[in-house]
Amino acid sequence: MTSLLQARRLSRAAYGAMWSLPLPVWLAGFFLGPMVLLIWLSFWDVKNFLLTPDFQLENWQKILTAGYFWSAYARTAAIAASAAALATLVALPCALAISFFLSPRARMVLLGLFVVPFFTSYLVRIYSWQIYLTENGIVMKLMAAIGIETGSLLNTPLALMIGLVTLTLPLVIVIQSISLLSLDRTLIDAAYNLGCGPRRVLFATVLPAARPGIVLGALFAFIFSFGDFVTATYLGGGKFTTLSILIADTVKSGQQWPRAAVVALMMIATLLLTALASIAYAYRRT
Amino acid sequence: MRVTRTTRRLTLAFTGLALVFLYAPILTNFVFSLNSDRFPTIPLGGFTLEWYRLILADALVIDAFKNTIKIALIVAPVATLMGFAAAYADYRFNFLGKKLVLVFALMPPLIPLVVIGLAMLAYLSRIGLSGTLPAIIVSHIVLTSPFAMAIIRLRFSQIDGDLEFAAQNLGASNWRAFRAVIIPSTKTSVLAAFLLCMAVSFDEYAVTWFVGGLEETSSVRILSFLQSAVSPRINAIGSITFVTSISLILGAQFLVLRRLTKDAK
Amino acid sequence: MAKNNLTRRGLLKTSAMAAGALAIPMIARAQSVTEMTMLAWYGQAEPDAVAEFEELHNVKITPKYYVGGEQMLALLAQSPAGTYDLIHADAEYVQQLVRANFVEKLDPADYPFDDFYPEFHKFPGHWHDDELYAVISRFGFLGISHNLDAVSVKEAMSYDMLWDAKHHDKVGHFDWHLPNLGVLSLRNGNAQPYDISGGAWDKLQETTLSLKPQVRGFYDYGGVLSSLKSGEVTVMPGIGEWITGVLRRDGANVTTTIPEQGGIQFTESFSIGRGSRKAELARKFIQHASSPAGQYNLANLNVFPAIIPSQAGWERMIAEKPEDARHLGMFKGDGNAIDLIRKGRIHIRQLPVQQDLGDWNDFWSAYKSA
Repeated sequence: MTSLLQARRLSRAAYGAMWSLPLPVWLAGFFLGPMVLLIWLSFWDVKNFLLTPDFQLENWQKILTAGYFWSAYARTAAIAASAAALATLVALPCALAISFFLSPRARMVLLGLFVVPFFTSYLVRIYSWQIYLTENGIVMKLMAAIGIETGSLLNTPLALMIGLVTLTLPLVIVIQSISLLSLDRTLIDAAYNLGCGPRRVLFATVLPAARPGIVLGALFAFIFSFGDFVTATYLGGGKFTTLSILIADTVKSGQQWPRAAVVALMMIATLLLTALASIAYAYRRT
Repeated sequence: MRVTRTTRRLTLAFTGLALVFLYAPILTNFVFSLNSDRFPTIPLGGFTLEWYRLILADALVIDAFKNTIKIALIVAPVATLMGFAAAYADYRFNFLGKKLVLVFALMPPLIPLVVIGLAMLAYLSRIGLSGTLPAIIVSHIVLTSPFAMAIIRLRFSQIDGDLEFAAQNLGASNWRAFRAVIIPSTKTSVLAAFLLCMAVSFDEYAVTWFVGGLEETSSVRILSFLQSAVSPRINAIGSITFVTSISLILGAQFLVLRRLTKDAK
Repeated sequence: MAKNNLTRRGLLKTSAMAAGALAIPMIARAQSVTEMTMLAWYGQAEPDAVAEFEELHNVKITPKYYVGGEQMLALLAQSPAGTYDLIHADAEYVQQLVRANFVEKLDPADYPFDDFYPEFHKFPGHWHDDELYAVISRFGFLGISHNLDAVSVKEAMSYDMLWDAKHHDKVGHFDWHLPNLGVLSLRNGNAQPYDISGGAWDKLQETTLSLKPQVRGFYDYGGVLSSLKSGEVTVMPGIGEWITGVLRRDGANVTTTIPEQGGIQFTESFSIGRGSRKAELARKFIQHASSPAGQYNLANLNVFPAIIPSQAGWERMIAEKPEDARHLGMFKGDGNAIDLIRKGRIHIRQLPVQQDLGDWNDFWSAYKSA
């Protein structure tokens, strides 16, 4: 009897392992490996333009004491935070419209339309934005037609925001919509029955209840904007040195991959902390 | 939600504008892929199919497209399967360090692509894989499986957890309960994850450039055109990949959203 | 192909060609051609550059393109020896390739150096301890590239014009410190722009920083092309005919001027990768690229035009493409490319001699965020 139970327990354990192991094992092999290597790499030396295994703190010292690193760090964080805020604000009305003002069929079509651009070549879309924003580009010509003189909009903070919102908006809308759609509708009805106006319902009931979705959406927007180099390069004209651009520049300084690794690890640490803090905030009980 | 007609209309109009914003670059991409001038300026030049002809006659582009398809056809099923397994394990079992494993599994999208590209190259070349299609495949699975896991996990959270146990209590084996309950209720989200993994694999360029060596995918081609010989061939390849991704995504979300909107009703 | 090609016939023709293109790799495989790999700057292994050689030797050249020598070195460092048969690089990176032991020694007797202008018989960056490691294929000069509608050739004869108030927010930079700091070092009157004392280096940093208010942006190769074409920027220091030549083909009113203070020279070359199993074929390729016919072809590459070291190649350019030859500086008499070199107006681009490369790079990063 005990052996039967044991066998059963064993088969259950095997069954569980079969499902829970593949992804962690794969990631341990092909993701943890590279990441550990990256950490190790940050202590290496560069001799004659060749990476040489070593253990020295010089790379960390060099980057963490460089003024341009911290200014790029602050700039990147500010740009990513603005982009996340902007994307959240633009997405909210859209997500509300999708969740509350549409028939299920129209809702499906609209959500579909918002998702499609996220998975189409981002490189190509940013390249296309150049045509709108450049000197004598579409925007300038359109503005001139209605009598407003503008210069080129490329290499401005506005261009950066356009690029980053292009990247993140679809994802934010979808996450917010999923969160709003799964709200308990009786809650909203109850608020109305208690005599609350629409504004009150929105701010006192809907938005607090949808907080996880809103926070997670903003978090993803922040993560994507923080690591992006395509917009900073092609719409920012390289004038706004972000950490991703700094990584590329560091490498140009005679194979300084170890220093690039330091910058990268600082980025990863920042994103991990931001992610953990936002998730804790999103699911905090009120 | 009960709101005035004006509020409703304004909100919907704003939503429309957001769509225009997202589709504007896609539209110009199509237009300029058919424009005869080499550099994208307005007014437009003449109409031409020259850029499509050029890329279709370019053995590098064709090889890149073939590689893209080969890679996606392996990446998508493997990543979906692993994503599914992880999502199911999270839904069904409790084990030590489960949370840690979950955070770990969601980490790859957090890391800047240039960085993960370099780290992957350094690592894969040490195990003798760099510069090959398998290297690209291995990396793409790392990058896409978290997406698959997230989508499928979302679906699991809507399934009544007791159903499978009930089936088991009625004497069904693990497998039979699984077949009877889990497969039918998740198959659409699995398909959706499959298509999304394919789309992400299509679009990835940074890691692929590093680990691919001489092997290229169509996104890597776009990147090299973009960094060097600015040419409407970018737009032509962009249009083709756009149409491909869009078909995959439309298929995927049709399936997911049908389920999602039904449940939310 | 004619414009407005949306007729049924046109479409049929296009799809037939597409089908043909799809079939090419299969046919090629059937004949079992040899494959040779080339690590090259973008566009150097396109059909217009390699098709002739491929046909001649029944070989298929598979390129891996990079943008920027650092990418190339990183890739080589992480790939097994023998991955790349041919390596195409700029002269200053050849030194690094040699030091890192990535390339094979070459026998100078294999290549037609006698046909090259004497300046290129023993080009410094390509020799190491009196051994040859790379053969020059093309070169070009960097000075001021400008839009002729906004800046005249006469104006561009001095780098001082970059600070002119009327070019505020119209100066663009190619995002790489070596060419930019090189020309600004010339502007400061340094006879050897890359071999400067600590004092001159401080001065150079000061000069560069004072230019920042004029700067519109920092661009990669593609960005340089689009921004000069659209009028986003009107003048760029440290850029050359390799950019303006491409834009002029597309009808832009742009050119490159080498100011009185001098210009910088960049040099492309071919080497054979360490451990290549097709070294013999790679040697043949380099011979072909150095021959008069190969040289003429290289001067006119689609990706961008450049000056060639071959005297016979010059003759043919002058006879067959006088206009392009003139813009590149390949003509007889005063002020041609070789003449500029002999007059000492041109300085070879190289890594800084007295400072660490990292210092120059750190300064460039700081300048960009200033």
